[in-house]
Amino acid sequence: MIHLVNVTKTFEPNTTALKDINLHIEPGEFVSIVGQSGSGKTTIARLLISEIKPSKGKVIVGGWDITNIKHRQIPLLRRQIGVVFQDFKLLPKKTVFENVAFALQVAGVAKKRINKIVPQVLKIVDLGDKLNRYPQELSGGEKQRVAIARALIHRPKILLADEPTGNLDAINSKEIIDLLLKINEFGTTVVLVSHDKDVVNGLKKRVITLEEGQISQDQKVGKYVI
Amino acid sequence: MILVTVKRSILFALQSFWRNIWLSLATIFIISLTFLSINFLVVINAISDSAIAAVKDKIDVSVYFKQDVRESKIAEMKSHMETLPQVERIVYISPDENLEVFKERRKDDLVIQEVLAELSGNPLGATLVVKAKNLSDYSEILKAIDNPAYADLIEKKSYDDHQAAIENINTITKNIKKGAWIISIMFIIIAVLIVFNTVRIAIFTHQQEIGIMKLVGATNGFIRSPFILENIFSGVIACAIAVSVIYFILSLVQPHLNNFFAGVDVNLIGYFNNNFIVIFGSQLVGIIILNIISSSLALGKYLKV
Repeated sequence: MIHLVNVTKTFEPNTTALKDINLHIEPGEFVSIVGQSGSGKTTIARLLISEIKPSKGKVIVGGWDITNIKHRQIPLLRRQIGVVFQDFKLLPKKTVFENVAFALQVAGVAKKRINKIVPQVLKIVDLGDKLNRYPQELSGGEKQRVAIARALIHRPKILLADEPTGNLDAINSKEIIDLLLKINEFGTTVVLVSHDKDVVNGLKKRVITLEEGQISQDQKVGKYVI
Repeated sequence: MILVTVKRSILFALQSFWRNIWLSLATIFIISLTFLSINFLVVINAISDSAIAAVKDKIDVSVYFKQDVRESKIAEMKSHMETLPQVERIVYISPDENLEVFKERRKDDLVIQEVLAELSGNPLGATLVVKAKNLSDYSEILKAIDNPAYADLIEKKSYDDHQAAIENINTITKNIKKGAWIISIMFIIIAVLIVFNTVRIAIFTHQQEIGIMKLVGATNGFIRSPFILENIFSGVIACAIAVSVIYFILSLVQPHLNNFFAGVDVNLIGYFNNNFIVIFGSQLVGIIILNIISSSLALGKYLKV
């Protein structure tokens, strides 16, 4: 599903964020990428959504070589990967419904279909009664659930969660992780980027550990050991 | 698909306009002020045009013929003069009409009245009053009048009396036009900078949203069009406000204009009515083009996510 082949990423003037990374993630896997700040976790996430391009190597997502993806193809790629961020990245002037619907509107989906699907997905994340609320009227956990609903609305094969519990308390963090596990059970490949030990250790799933831009450990059922 | 995108762009633009109402109002206010300042310049131009036109209208050349010149000779000269492209119109005043006017003008002067009563005939000749199309045309007309064929017919010409005044007015007119052009260009540059920066600030406040839109797969066009449309709405509303304010101010000022300009007919409402499409249409088209350019430029920076 995801292949990084000999990927190196250097930022100007001379910061190497990733060094010769080889990473293969199979369809349906739940993989945690862990490491300290500056280890290169977020750089991998940014490569996967083509926010940046590798300096060397190849990035293949869902069979699509996005190493040298054309600028106009980036929106198509991003519609195929659900992304959840630490800071939620919700549109502040749009309601919960509109935030989720926006991801479909950009793809030109008909209004009738949007009106049918969006409430269904929001019900899955337990926000069926908050369709008309604005982000500032929601708690952190609720905001993250809206972000997950938006990420799921395209039924993506990959869900990329970059520190999704970073701004949440323990209870909300557990709810979000449970939701990600549920999504993974339905067959979606989940890539969790995190530096939260408790979250990663509780999962008992594959853990890839990054240190100074290199993979130091890749365990089938791993733990955050740094 | 295109229709759906267009409909959504309009909907998003209206939504954003309404949900960011204070920002929208601030943008409209600044663009309205820009419109008002440009139209203030239009008013100044209209007033100076009216004043110049009024002065020009009072200028003509009167050719006074000798008493014994036959009417047929004068008619011949009039016909010839009318063929000149510089001539706007020629009015013939007969000796009798000249006498009537003279008597009327000097009715309180008893000595003149007595002298006229003692004279058996009319001492005055006929007159041709020649009006040029432009002030600069009088020199050509004078050359035609100075034709040796007419030298024996003409007693005198009034043009000689106010030739200096006409030349002064010509110079003043040219200077006013030149000044108006310079001020117009300055106003336009200032207006462009104000509108450009207003749009940039409006888009700057949306930079985070633009980034989010990109991350959920929106194309640049899908992001750009609602912003451009929103700024066009602001421009259209600002134009409508400026038109209302200008007409309101003109309705208050118009009754006092003729008194203020001592008899010069300055009809500003008429001027704006007659040139409504040209004045406001060009400003509206200008603001729309400016909004499209400034929105596109300002957005470009944030669309590279």
